[in-house]
Amino acid sequence: MSTSTQKHRDFVGEPMGDKPVTSLSGIGGILGEKLRHQSLRQGETPGPFLTRDLLAYVVLGQFLLLKKDPEMFTEWLRDTSGANSRQAGLCSQCLREWCDAFL
Amino acid sequence: MILNAAHILSKMASTQLTDEELFSELKRFGFTPGPVTENTRPVYLKKLKKLREEQQQRGSRSGKTRSGGAINSTSGGGNTAGSRPASHDVTHLSSSRRPGRKSSVLGFSSDESDAEAPLKREGLNHSSKSDRNSSLLQQTKVRPVTTSRMATKIQFGATSTLNSNNSSPGPGGQRSVSLGWGVRARSRPSPEAEGRDYDESGDEDDHEGGMEQNSRSLNGSGAPHLNASKLAGDYSDSDEEEVMGRSAGDQLGRSPPKAGFHSHKAGQRSQTGVAARQVNPPDILNMVASRGEEEEVNRRDPSPASRCHNFARKPIYVSLAENRAGEAGENNHVDGEDEAPRSGSRSRFAIGLRPRFSNYSSLSQTYRGGHPNHTAPNHAHSPAVLKQRLSVPEDDLLQQFKRDEVASSSSFSAHYLSMFLLTAACLFFLLLGLMYLRMRGSGSSEVDGVSKCLTNVQAAIQLFILQGKWCLYLVSFVQVQNPEFDGFIETALEWIIRTGQDVGIRLTGQVADDPLIDVSEISRLESTHPKMPFMCRFRRAFLTVISRVFLIAVVAGCAWSVVYYVKYRWRKEEEQTRQMYDMVERIIDVLRSHSEACQENLDLKPYLPIPHVRDSLVQPQDRSKMMKVWERAERFLSANESRIRKESQRIDGGDFLVWRWIQPSLSCDKTLMPSKVWQGKAFPLDRRNSPPNSLTPCLKIRNMFDPVMEVGESWDLAIHEAILEKCHDNDGIVHIAVDKNSREGCVYVKCLSAEHSGRAFKALHGSWFDGKLVTVKYLRLDRYHQRFPQAQGSSTPLMASSLHGNAPGPTTNRLQHRGAAHSSGFS
Repeated sequence: MSTSTQKHRDFVGEPMGDKPVTSLSGIGGILGEKLRHQSLRQGETPGPFLTRDLLAYVVLGQFLLLKKDPEMFTEWLRDTSGANSRQAGLCSQCLREWCDAFL
Repeated sequence: MILNAAHILSKMASTQLTDEELFSELKRFGFTPGPVTENTRPVYLKKLKKLREEQQQRGSRSGKTRSGGAINSTSGGGNTAGSRPASHDVTHLSSSRRPGRKSSVLGFSSDESDAEAPLKREGLNHSSKSDRNSSLLQQTKVRPVTTSRMATKIQFGATSTLNSNNSSPGPGGQRSVSLGWGVRARSRPSPEAEGRDYDESGDEDDHEGGMEQNSRSLNGSGAPHLNASKLAGDYSDSDEEEVMGRSAGDQLGRSPPKAGFHSHKAGQRSQTGVAARQVNPPDILNMVASRGEEEEVNRRDPSPASRCHNFARKPIYVSLAENRAGEAGENNHVDGEDEAPRSGSRSRFAIGLRPRFSNYSSLSQTYRGGHPNHTAPNHAHSPAVLKQRLSVPEDDLLQQFKRDEVASSSSFSAHYLSMFLLTAACLFFLLLGLMYLRMRGSGSSEVDGVSKCLTNVQAAIQLFILQGKWCLYLVSFVQVQNPEFDGFIETALEWIIRTGQDVGIRLTGQVADDPLIDVSEISRLESTHPKMPFMCRFRRAFLTVISRVFLIAVVAGCAWSVVYYVKYRWRKEEEQTRQMYDMVERIIDVLRSHSEACQENLDLKPYLPIPHVRDSLVQPQDRSKMMKVWERAERFLSANESRIRKESQRIDGGDFLVWRWIQPSLSCDKTLMPSKVWQGKAFPLDRRNSPPNSLTPCLKIRNMFDPVMEVGESWDLAIHEAILEKCHDNDGIVHIAVDKNSREGCVYVKCLSAEHSGRAFKALHGSWFDGKLVTVKYLRLDRYHQRFPQAQGSSTPLMASSLHGNAPGPTTNRLQHRGAAHSSGFS
């Protein structure tokens, strides 16, 4: 528990509700923006005109779709958002612990 | 099956597998994927490719990969997780195609991307290695713990434990060797460290920059320190260093700076533990009053451990908890007292980092605090405890289960209690009912002052009472029995009429409820307190109850059926309405599309006959059913829809009612692709997103263009202009270079000073340009000059060419004009 960051602890400590994706451990501003861009990729104009924030549970959904497999999720995250392995690993770890705690 | 496989293999190259084929292919490799959706498809495709390559390699190679995979297999992950990291590395090495490699210039951009790959690999290796090591480390970690306790000197126990760690045999030695290799491997890409640090830590969580600065200030040496900070940046759990860095920064300086030791994750962990131990005693001293408290806290430890499920992954802290659990057992034996401070400690100790370390330090403190008789059993126990390292996590779980069982047993007793209460209530009500029945029956009416003959008559009438019948026959019966009572019966009846007492007989005349005056009016006798046998009574009561219940049930049934019918009708109404709206929408769509088609194809008439619309929308088998819905829809349209007009037209000689769509189509420009314009900021730049201060005067901006998509001759000048315009308040930009060949859309900018570059960073990083998210990094000055020698001499600030003290209006106009020329190439 003490080897995690404050952000990690904040996320894993309570149900995620409507937290934005940037509250996930390992996902900061740039990555969050890229993920949001990806999620809106279907026929809408890109980011700046839409104020809607990508929510963390969308990424949770992807994690669960990949059957909570951290490897696959890490790969997916790196493919879609260009995260490096460290960030993806952090995010995957964060999500996994959240799932262990709340699912 | 064979045909299938061949078919699929033929599709392999073209990756046109359908979802089911992909699924089955993955299953053939023993890997059960989740659902294949558009999101997960690319991932699974990659996985399939990897599995196939791995299969080929496994066929060609010997078991080397396999063994490597086995070594690297961690406890977590799926069945192929073990082989996956190895294959990951292999494919990374073999299939890493970095397109920037071929650039003629000194591979500036490719250096960093090259640096990413080996670092990723090493990151993976180290993460797997450290996981493996940590399981070995559990044993070694205990030893420093016990030694520190024995030493009774926590302050300098840090160095001693560090030394002991370094000198511990076996795995420790291996660790240092591997560390050296890791460090040396990292020294190669270290020049990229600065840029990389902030590139990655741009997305890093809190205090990473602060930590790095902190540790930078502590250790003066350049390269090994860069390694340390960079390694910290690489590790996924490196943020523990923030705890260490902030609180125990000075102790870092005190202990001999061994770069290898610092950089090892497990080493960091132990250091964290040790360091925190050092920090916390001062504020623990006032908290820990007695060993009972600590025992209570120890007992509470497994509960936070079970509640926060992080512990399964942090073997070091499990080992610490195990220590405490192990010793808590001993504590329980020795001191089983002190209830009082427990409640206080309960409130004081919250779940979190500090209390755990405080527990630990309190434990060690109390051991320190002069209980020598316990240290002896401790020593005796510690080897046993050592051996049980691995089993104690299971003990924790077992304890958790026992608690659950206890809880469940108490719930069982609660269950029994509820059952008991229920039966008691039932019995009570039964008894009540029986008593009621008996009370009804026991009509004790003691009549006083009745003469003997009356008592005789009474006796006779008692007979009659017993029988429970009420008619006048008994009178004649009595008369028959004893003719001398004949007169007495008259007087008796008269007396009964006159007396107001309740003698147990009620007299009713021909007409009910009339007060009886004369004996002759009596036609019926009724006993008010019949002494019936129990069964008879019971039967009567039962029948009464049943009849009443039946009546109520009938009434309730009627009410319920009425309600149900009403609801059913209402639901049908809703359904119909919904269908009607659905139909209306479909009609509107059909008409609209028809009118649009008419606009393009002028041969069609702009109206549609109503029956034709109906027949095209409603299936033949539904036509009779949907008739009502259709009529409602028609009425709705004529009443509520203004865009459709009903007309009568003559088509092919027949008169038809037609619908005409009369809304002019909106001309919306769907492809409004912005071109070469800044579109706003994605997120505010705060301490987390960007480095706290600018480091170098050179910036590398990524993702500003796509070289494949650019057309025209001078689009790079447009980029220049765009950057200058964006930083129009910053007069320190002296050189801009657009790397036309880079696939990442890189632009290099040099500023007069670090401060200028910092301002430019803030202006550019995270902004949207031309529909792309721009990211900025710092570059080292010497590398910049290596790549752009012409920039060494430039020191005059560049300005946007049309911007000479004016508003940026003309600039944007020119940009847009230029952009418009290119826009055809974009869409």
